Amino acid sequence: MDNVLSARVLMGISLGFHIIYATIGIGLPLMLMIAEGLSLRTRDELYHQLARRWIRPAGVLFAIGAVSGTILSFELGLLWPRFMAFSGPLIGLAFSMEGYAFFVEAIFLALYIYGEQRLSRRMLFFCTIVLTVAAAISAVFVISANAWMNTPTGFRLADGKLVDVHPFQALTNPSWAHEALHGTLAAYVATGFAVAGVYALHLLRGHRSEYNKRALTLALAVASVSLPLMLVSGDWSAMTIAVQQKPKLAAMEALFTTTKGAPLYIGGWPDPATGTVLYGIRIPNLLSYLAFRDTDAIVEGLDAFPPGTTPDPRLVHPFFDLMVASFFIMLAPAGWFWWLHWRRQEVPLNKWPLRALLLASPFGMIALESGWLVTEFGRQPWIARGHMRVTEGVTPQTSIGLVLFTFFVVYLALTVGLLMLLMRPATIENGTKAPQEDRHVDP
Amino acid sequence: MWTLNNLAAGAVYFGLVMYAVFGGADFGGGIWTALASGPRAREQRDKLFYAIGPVWETNHVWLIFVVVTLFTAFPKGFAALFTALLIPLVIALIGINFRGAAFAFRHFGRETGERIPFMVSLFAVSSILTPFALGMAVTAIATGKIVFVNDWAQAGPWFWISPFTLVGGLVGMAICAYLTPIFMTVRTEGELQSDFRRQGIIAGLIFGLLTTVEIPVAMTDAPLFVDRLLSVRGAFFVTVSVISGITTQILLWRCRFQWSQITAIGTVTLTITGFAAAMYPDLLIGQLSISAAAAPPASLRAFSLVLVIGVIILVPSLLLLYWTFRGEPNPKLPQ
Ligand code: HDD
Ligand code: HEM
Ligand code: HEM
Repeated sequence: MDNVLSARVLMGISLGFHIIYATIGIGLPLMLMIAEGLSLRTRDELYHQLARRWIRPAGVLFAIGAVSGTILSFELGLLWPRFMAFSGPLIGLAFSMEGYAFFVEAIFLALYIYGEQRLSRRMLFFCTIVLTVAAAISAVFVISANAWMNTPTGFRLADGKLVDVHPFQALTNPSWAHEALHGTLAAYVATGFAVAGVYALHLLRGHRSEYNKRALTLALAVASVSLPLMLVSGDWSAMTIAVQQKPKLAAMEALFTTTKGAPLYIGGWPDPATGTVLYGIRIPNLLSYLAFRDTDAIVEGLDAFPPGTTPDPRLVHPFFDLMVASFFIMLAPAGWFWWLHWRRQEVPLNKWPLRALLLASPFGMIALESGWLVTEFGRQPWIARGHMRVTEGVTPQTSIGLVLFTFFVVYLALTVGLLMLLMRPATIENGTKAPQEDRHVDP
Repeated sequence: MWTLNNLAAGAVYFGLVMYAVFGGADFGGGIWTALASGPRAREQRDKLFYAIGPVWETNHVWLIFVVVTLFTAFPKGFAALFTALLIPLVIALIGINFRGAAFAFRHFGRETGERIPFMVSLFAVSSILTPFALGMAVTAIATGKIVFVNDWAQAGPWFWISPFTLVGGLVGMAICAYLTPIFMTVRTEGELQSDFRRQGIIAGLIFGLLTTVEIPVAMTDAPLFVDRLLSVRGAFFVTVSVISGITTQILLWRCRFQWSQITAIGTVTLTITGFAAAMYPDLLIGQLSISAAAAPPASLRAFSLVLVIGVIILVPSLLLLYWTFRGEPNPKLPQ
């Protein structure tokens, strides 16, 4: 594989891997905070126990988040040194701020996990508040760096040199607001559904303890409050892109030619050879309406831009549809569940609503990964849109294929190890305490 | 002297020291897990393990801090380093990953006992690999073999392997292996304490020996570095670090553990300071100066502002962390 391709694949795999743990690292603290808060308010121990039982998986997932994040920050230099030499002075600020947020996160996570015997209940609750805020802040800042790649601002180039550098302008670049909002909410949706799925499975298997019911309700509540906001903020993202990143919008919607009153294609396979969308459902004028709130607006297609400066719609359009479809896949069972809950005033334990929830539970992560692929593939061929191509940002080192292979093995090993650890049926989830004796094994 | 450039370079230096002192001690825990011996080997391993638990993730962030500060404040230097040092950095990364993962798996997978021995060896091996690779990478910067051609860094693919950097890797390991037992002496009692005391004294001797060997080796491999190291400024730090090292040995010998902990931190800090003083005013010795590598002033100003705010938030948080988990490691694990 050639160097650029290897570097891109490695960056994509690394980010796709990290984002799963990062997402849980943002979503889980919020649930811990709610549980600890409820426990303090209602003086109900069960909520506290709920939170404490999440610690074991959370500890491992956080650790993998930290090490995979470290790989990423090294990869910025190992794979994209030329890009970083150019953009470091601008996006470095966002990463620095994120770094302090990491510190705060790591500190308060340790205090929360290990502090049970050394800290008061109130202090533990306080730790979860700091954790929740710090995690959200770290997401918001790292997303600023990504947003800058989409809409680079805060500098001028004179003879290839940076002049007029304004780091705070770079930080608050035009894509930041919508990406940060949509991206952070997504973490709550994805974690909420994933956790809800675990407890739906337990309930389906007949472990109908109060503990499982509460855990399911809490996780699903977090997810369901955030879910409708995804539609609103996603719509805002799309409208902003329609102005700022026209080629990305065209690729997302598989619009090959500039059209007045553009149609929306749902599904289908964009075929660049013929400039048509095969097998898609075509809804006339809808794209113009969604992008500009005017059914007759002109939407620029891929043909409006010089060849070689637009992304490949075959990589972008399907993932965009997958993200939006996932939204509806999650909306339906969540709506069903709350409807039954409201009717009966208790947690519904029927098979089908729970099965539907279980089925929908991975779609938060699926939507999140595909959303990121839309953003990243949709930026191509640029690493910093309009200023530097991916091929100009890559390292001159030549053995990146080997590095890719090495890290592929590392990720595989981590994933296998983690699955082996988490899949082990710990008795914990039934609401009974696991055998407590510490089994020391001498190495 | 007090320029923005130097302030940012100071931040890199400070991050390195913090990572060496705190993160290094965690790596040392892995090294001594491998080297634990005698009738109390198991207790030694357990104590190390419990002591690292609450703090390793925080300590690890110092590495991120160094990397982020480098690309924010010295983008050109960062690009050069990460291009030329691709291989040792990849090796270090692999070690960092498996160490973190092995530790977490072992820790939170306690109830699933049977994997533990494998995780322990993985933890130990990667704790040895990482400081060695990082030590090589850092000392490779002092060889002056990363050169600029058309404004772009170049170096031979294996330039980072030489007697000088190999000893540098060993010094990296020695720093870690030195700090851990000394830190542990204040957290243990009785026979375990004297085990750690003995380990600390041995590691101190090895650490001293290796840093001494590094100087003649550097004469051939890193001539400019030795020149500067033996200049007045460099020699000052070398001397003070030797004094600090000897003091630590005496304090350990006399069982003044609290004090020896402080002087051991001093020894490591001064050793790194000596290295940094010999590098100054360059980032890549003889090739790229701090000011030539620095980002535009606006970026450095923003960086410093954020640094100040960060410190205001961090210091109390860190104090709270280390204060809460001071003293005897708590064997009671979260469940
Ligand atoms: C739970 C996950 C999830 C769900 C249900 C949705 N999204 Fe999303 N979307 C993401 C998770 C996500 C994300 C976190 O993966 C992205 C990647 C970059 C970003 O800002 O958020 C994203 C990006 C993203 C972008 C590109 C932003 C950019 O590149 O600047 C658009 C236009 C949308 N989304 C639109 C939508 C719409 C119209 C949705 C309808 C319901 C939707 N998203 C649901
Ligand atoms: C976490 C969710 C993310 C995912 C799943 C993701 C995915 C990807 C993928 C698939 C690529 C390769 C694209 C291609 O070459 O066709 C890529 C490239 C890249 N991404 Fe992301 N990305 C994410 C977030 C970020 C963030 C927050 C940053 C912020 C700095 C970032 C920085 C980069 C860089 C520097 C590249 C290489 C240049 C390029 O190929 O355009 N990514 N990412
Ligand atoms: C949108 C994409 C991203 C989000 C939302 C995100 C968020 C997070 C969060 C919440 C954590 C801490 C929680 C945990 O450890 O699980 C984390 C860890 C980390 N992330 Fe990311 N991240 C993203 C992409 C990146 C990128 C592009 C980089 C670097 C280039 C990066 C570097 C790191 C590092 C170094 C850590 C470890 C911090 C530690 O040692 O505790 N992340 N990330």
